[in-house]
Amino acid sequence: MNIDNRKNISTINEYETRLSGLYEEYYDKIARYVYVHIGNKEEAEDITGEVFLKALKSLKSYREQGVPMQGWLFRIAHNLTVDYLRKMNKRRTVPIDSVVLQGNDNPANTAEKNIEFERVTEAMKQLTTEQREVINLRFFGGLTSKEVGGVLGKNDGAVREMQRAAIEKLRGIMGVER
Amino acid sequence: MMDEDFDRILDECIDRINRGDNLADCLSDYPAYSEKLKPLLQSMHDVQKTYTFTPSADTKRTARQKFHAALGKRRQMTPVLSFFKVISRPAVWATVAVLVLAIVGTLVIRPILNPPTLVPSPEGNFAFLISDEPNDIGDFESLNVTISRVELQAAGSVKRLEFTPEIKTVDLTQLQGEQSQEIWRGNVPAGQYSHVYIYVSEVKGRLELTGQTVDVKLPSGKLHISMPFEVTADTVTSFTFDITVVAKGNTGEYNLKPQIGESGARQEQKPLE
Repeated sequence: MNIDNRKNISTINEYETRLSGLYEEYYDKIARYVYVHIGNKEEAEDITGEVFLKALKSLKSYREQGVPMQGWLFRIAHNLTVDYLRKMNKRRTVPIDSVVLQGNDNPANTAEKNIEFERVTEAMKQLTTEQREVINLRFFGGLTSKEVGGVLGKNDGAVREMQRAAIEKLRGIMGVER
Repeated sequence: MMDEDFDRILDECIDRINRGDNLADCLSDYPAYSEKLKPLLQSMHDVQKTYTFTPSADTKRTARQKFHAALGKRRQMTPVLSFFKVISRPAVWATVAVLVLAIVGTLVIRPILNPPTLVPSPEGNFAFLISDEPNDIGDFESLNVTISRVELQAAGSVKRLEFTPEIKTVDLTQLQGEQSQEIWRGNVPAGQYSHVYIYVSEVKGRLELTGQTVDVKLPSGKLHISMPFEVTADTVTSFTFDITVVAKGNTGEYNLKPQIGESGARQEQKPLE
């Protein structure tokens, strides 16, 4: 075994430790990110579990250049989500037709939440794919603009600009004063 | 420029809200932008609130167990890799080098550089004597040789023992022929020995004819005899180291040399106690 191989093995061991450390911090965030895409909580949880297992198996392919590991996790989450939607033959960002919010509230509150969910989801659908991804990674993934830039291959200035444009569009559709 | 500034401020506020700050605090920090910021941050809040959900604890626990099981399996399968990880560290190599040096130092170098010191004893099994084989000793009124230490080397080994003479300075003019002087007696471990070294710290010679002091050389500062001899526990071994002084032609200088032909060990029975 040559020095390069030993170095790689040492690096992978370090990555394993780091990935393990990210599990608690990012499990919920990734689950929400996936949920926004597919609109199914149980499936979102299953996919999130898969994200970490897939990351573990693919550590050899992880390169730290430009993309922090948490950003890489969201890339994996994105790919698994796309695969899932392809399998389901559903290309909608959020399949609102099938979503029924559950809760312990009374029926009136649940109905109100469903209306709100439909309104926000409809607004989200009006965004471009990139804008939606920025909003999703920033609002639900909790990534910084720089990290989002690493995931999307954009500089952080471009991400900030897309972010502002996306929120303004959402505001325009949803309306602020209700 | 204004747009870039606003983008940065909006971005910072989103970061702060993600970290748990509230919207009002961020607005109060940027009153000039407050009116423009508020509807955007409110929209953010609405979107987050709509999609908020907390994964179930059971599902998360199960997923965590699967992840750690997979991680453990990977690590069990790569003990050799861990070994290489360890040996690839410079600190490990440095530690190994230090250990090797310590072992070499203990087994090889230390016995040479710092041999164990023997303790003198009147009832010891070993006596060390100095004598002089007459060569040019007749030129001297006195020839005082100061011996700092003597080393004995075990046969077939680098292991050495040393002792410090109780009588350090001997006058070779008084030790000619059959004359000899015991300079140390003590206990030496029984065994075979092959080399004797005498370390001389000072030589002072005064010539008979002129009374002048003369330079007596001692190459390398020591005298060495290679001669096998045995030390036993139940007898007294007396080893006589014969030294001779030889003139260096007509230079007026002299050399001090070991005289191997007149040196050697003999055994005597220990006196009854």
